[in-house]
Amino acid sequence: MRRRDFLRTTAGAAGILAAPRISRAADSKVLRFVPQANLANLDPIWTTQYVVRNASALMWDTLYGVNDQLVPQPQMVEAHETSADGKTWTFRLRTGLKFHDNAPVLSKDVVASINRWMVRDSSMGVGIKRNLDALEAVDDRTFRFRFKAPYPKLLFALGKSSTPVLFIMPERIAATDPFKQISEYIGSGPMTFKKDEWVPGSAATFERFAGYEPREEKASWLAGGKRINFDRIEWKILPDAATASGALQNNEVDWLETPLPDLIPLLKKSPGISVDISDDLGNIGVFRMNHLYPPFNDERARRAVQIALNQADYMRAVVGDDEALWKLLPGFFTPGTALYTEQGGDYLKGPRKYDEAKKLLAEAGYKNEPIILLVATDVSITKAQGDVTADLLQKIGMNVQYTALDWGTVGQRRASKEPPDKGGWNIFHTWSAGADCINPAPYTGLDASGPTAWFGWPKSDKVQAKIAEWFAATDLATEKTVIGDLNQAAMDDVVYIPTGFFKGYQAWRKNVTGIVKAPFPVFWDVSKT
Amino acid sequence: MLAYLIRRILATIPVVLMVALFVFSLLYIAPGDPAAIIAGDQASPEDVERIRASLGLDRPFLVRFFEWLWQVMHGDLGTSIFTNLPVSHMIAQRIEPTVSLMTLTLILSLSIAIPMGVIAAWKHGTWIDRVVMMVAVFGYSTPVFVVGYLLAYLFALQLDWLPVQGFTSITEGLIPFLRNLILPAVALGLIYMALLARITRATMLDVLSQDYVRTAKAKGVEQKGILFVHALKNAAVPIITIVGIGFATLIGGAVVTESVFAIPGLGRLTVDAILRRDYPVIQGVVLLFSFTYVVVNLGVDLLYTVFDPRIRY
Amino acid sequence: MSSFVLDAGGHAVAPVLPDVLPEPKQRGRVMGFIHRHPTIALGGTVLALMVLIAIFAPFLATVDPTALAPAKRTRPPSELYWFGTDMLGRDVYSRVLYGSRVSLTVGFSVAALASIIGTTLGLVAGFTRWLDAIVMRVMDGLMSIPGILLAIALMALTRASMKNVIIAIAVAEFPRVCRLVRGVVLSLREQPYVEAAIASGTRIPVIIWRHILPNTLAPLMVQATFICASAMIGEATLSFLGAGTPPIIPSWGNIMAEGRALWQVKPYIVFFPAIFLCLTVLAVNMLGDGLRDALDPRLAKRL
Repeated sequence: MRRRDFLRTTAGAAGILAAPRISRAADSKVLRFVPQANLANLDPIWTTQYVVRNASALMWDTLYGVNDQLVPQPQMVEAHETSADGKTWTFRLRTGLKFHDNAPVLSKDVVASINRWMVRDSSMGVGIKRNLDALEAVDDRTFRFRFKAPYPKLLFALGKSSTPVLFIMPERIAATDPFKQISEYIGSGPMTFKKDEWVPGSAATFERFAGYEPREEKASWLAGGKRINFDRIEWKILPDAATASGALQNNEVDWLETPLPDLIPLLKKSPGISVDISDDLGNIGVFRMNHLYPPFNDERARRAVQIALNQADYMRAVVGDDEALWKLLPGFFTPGTALYTEQGGDYLKGPRKYDEAKKLLAEAGYKNEPIILLVATDVSITKAQGDVTADLLQKIGMNVQYTALDWGTVGQRRASKEPPDKGGWNIFHTWSAGADCINPAPYTGLDASGPTAWFGWPKSDKVQAKIAEWFAATDLATEKTVIGDLNQAAMDDVVYIPTGFFKGYQAWRKNVTGIVKAPFPVFWDVSKT
Repeated sequence: MLAYLIRRILATIPVVLMVALFVFSLLYIAPGDPAAIIAGDQASPEDVERIRASLGLDRPFLVRFFEWLWQVMHGDLGTSIFTNLPVSHMIAQRIEPTVSLMTLTLILSLSIAIPMGVIAAWKHGTWIDRVVMMVAVFGYSTPVFVVGYLLAYLFALQLDWLPVQGFTSITEGLIPFLRNLILPAVALGLIYMALLARITRATMLDVLSQDYVRTAKAKGVEQKGILFVHALKNAAVPIITIVGIGFATLIGGAVVTESVFAIPGLGRLTVDAILRRDYPVIQGVVLLFSFTYVVVNLGVDLLYTVFDPRIRY
Repeated sequence: MSSFVLDAGGHAVAPVLPDVLPEPKQRGRVMGFIHRHPTIALGGTVLALMVLIAIFAPFLATVDPTALAPAKRTRPPSELYWFGTDMLGRDVYSRVLYGSRVSLTVGFSVAALASIIGTTLGLVAGFTRWLDAIVMRVMDGLMSIPGILLAIALMALTRASMKNVIIAIAVAEFPRVCRLVRGVVLSLREQPYVEAAIASGTRIPVIIWRHILPNTLAPLMVQATFICASAMIGEATLSFLGAGTPPIIPSWGNIMAEGRALWQVKPYIVFFPAIFLCLTVLAVNMLGDGLRDALDPRLAKRL
């Protein structure tokens, strides 16, 4: 600190010219935040990227919002009523809701936003749309859902945090085709987006909207009163992890969303920096196989990988040496949540069975064909998993073809249903936020409907039946039983292989207070001294 | 002179067109698909197809090329697939940092390298000459990012003299501007300086052994006068040539430097666009770079005529 | 230009004497060579050392360079792991040794490929007037795209593999070779003995073989060494930006790219491959310098 002050005094006259920049950087009304990835576009319905959702949460408000127990709480809605047969839901909006152009938020805006969202939300929105008789605006403040069959999980759909989130936009913007990006960013949330200051790949700025009236309750994740204590929030995109960490140490930024785990000891030692786990719900590593083509269309081949896979290797590679950051996960649901179960997960426990794996592979008829392993090398989590998989497959005698790509290309290639040797694939990696794996509702990865499932296209009638049972379940005890069986079925049929449960850190300057643990950065109630 | 100028300018047009066709056609046959990237992690294959169609990525090559060319000539470089912003706007946002970086690097390199080369030539055969040459070869042999990280580690993190990353416009003050850019400029300029120093030295050596120089020495003209007036003027042509050619190396190095020091410039924009297959941005930026390079070389050719009246095509 | 003979160092050299002096001893000749061309000697020796390391890597390495051991990740250099381990527990020392194979292969292959393509095109352009204009316009076009961007763009089109990296970098480098060779061809074509050869009916390929190629050999060799150095750094840069050789094959660029995020806490992961890369590139550059000085002092100006 002393050296910097010395430099400033010597700068003298030039320092006067320098004043605006320096004073802004030290301004307690400006928060400088480094997000997990680049914010390349800003339409949270059109894309399912987490970083877009996180920015959108500043700009738009939601009808309901999940709190830190993942229970939906009313946000823009004042009250709701369900009919006796459970098929009609009527909602009334709060008063005083305004868009950033000071137009009031009306039911027609809500209906348009819901319509756009339903098309793109495959986990719940599509199901709601199919089940819907009508969705109408009764008057300016009231709107109504009329279902063909009861849909008890509606509030969770309206308030969930898994992408795409149901953000409420003005009718004219929500009328945009769900497969085209919106170009206007008029929001309903606590902050406006400064489009003229947006430099994609480098910086995005948000400014507080004075016309936003937060709820009375205390804020908790997406629920409660969203009180912003800053005039501006500046997102700085720093893709180089070492540079980001250096910037935090040098007080050039205030808050890092995803510091690299290996740099955490350095940040912990740094006097002005606080470090803590970012989300107790953590993340689940995902190992997806292609069920359409050999060898993984044969359950025995999938089983071979499953019994040889060593979750400890994966987790260490992903999060490093800190044992507190990861856990073995012999199940598909998030540890620490109500529906967590290890039923059926014995395949992933205990000493690994390489010889048995080799035998199973032989039985499945594997004859050394190349296995196309897609690895996104620009994302540290997927690269770490990919490297460990390459090693694992070699251990059980498979012929790995390590295909290094960037995250974007993996996203494209995994959509291909072509044979692996003709532009398709056999294996790819990703990870899911723990918040999205608490139950089957937001859980796209668990769906085993075959050709209409998520990439990998697992098919398991048993799993589908159990999912349907869970949706129909009415109390927690039933849910738990069903989930236990579901877990077992998914393990038996190897829908996909979880590579473990891991948490990440976030880091911030000590003069910033109010930062909480959540699956996404929560900006309300944060302040800076 | 004017005729020469016009002829040179006209000669650059087919080159730029060639680049445009080249870049455009390369990307056209590319297997990457931005539509799937945009669709995001949880999208279905049908979603991806619809996005492709909505972006117009399924029309024939020539149609797209001529349409694009027509737009470019009207100043419209298209719209980014990913950000929905006009490409010209994105370039305008990021051009200042890159130009600032390269200008500072150029000034720094020229002011350090040319005197170094001159001194090395003057003290040819002595240890000064050898040291300069060794330093130059080292500078030429180290990757830019290694130098960048070393400088950042030493001056920003250990000594805390300078910031680790970022860019401050010169309109906000000269000192903050320099503080942000000095480390990147040094990292970027090292290779350039090495190249310039070597060429300067070699050219000066060549010139110094010329007859007319030895005549001037024999006549008793003071040595420094010889060096800086006669020799340097004659050495200017090859030096300027290298400045021009090295410009492309500078752009390449700028990409890496911008990445290490998080400078929001064109280099990083281009690399991101290429890896994401954001076609309009790639086309716009590469066209801009090659156009700049062509203009720089045009300037170099014109400077030739200033320094050496014998060169007149 | 001068009335007496200058050698590479700028010293006056006596004219050649008749052979009345005894043959110098073998040892004297080698020492004499080293004395007169220190850069070739030093550069060549270091390069030869690297080549030997590359060839004998399997014997010099302590463990399998691709063997993962996540439980032993990021250990500092010790008796067991001479250069430490990386973020997946792989031995950095063994990886650096194997990395020499990739970097040297990329360097040499690019130099060879660029030379071959460039020479062919240069010859074609030099001899065929109507093709000359087209070829040179294309070369100008290629040269006006910064090399790194061209290489990344080409890599983005295809799968990451060593072959594709070599091709991508070679494409960025061959225009300069083409220019060089074309220049030689054009200047030689005006020479009386070449004109005479053409007039007397000697076929073009023979003229190329007998007159043109020998004269291109010297500048080409020098240019090739610089291309080699540039290609090795190019591979490192491509890997740094995420568009280089596939990470499963250790290369110096790869190892540095993977370790760059940990630069502040575990600098040895970047440090060791960086040292090796710098030394090798340095050696190649010195070799090129020495060759240039030895073969033709006048080339110093041209290059």
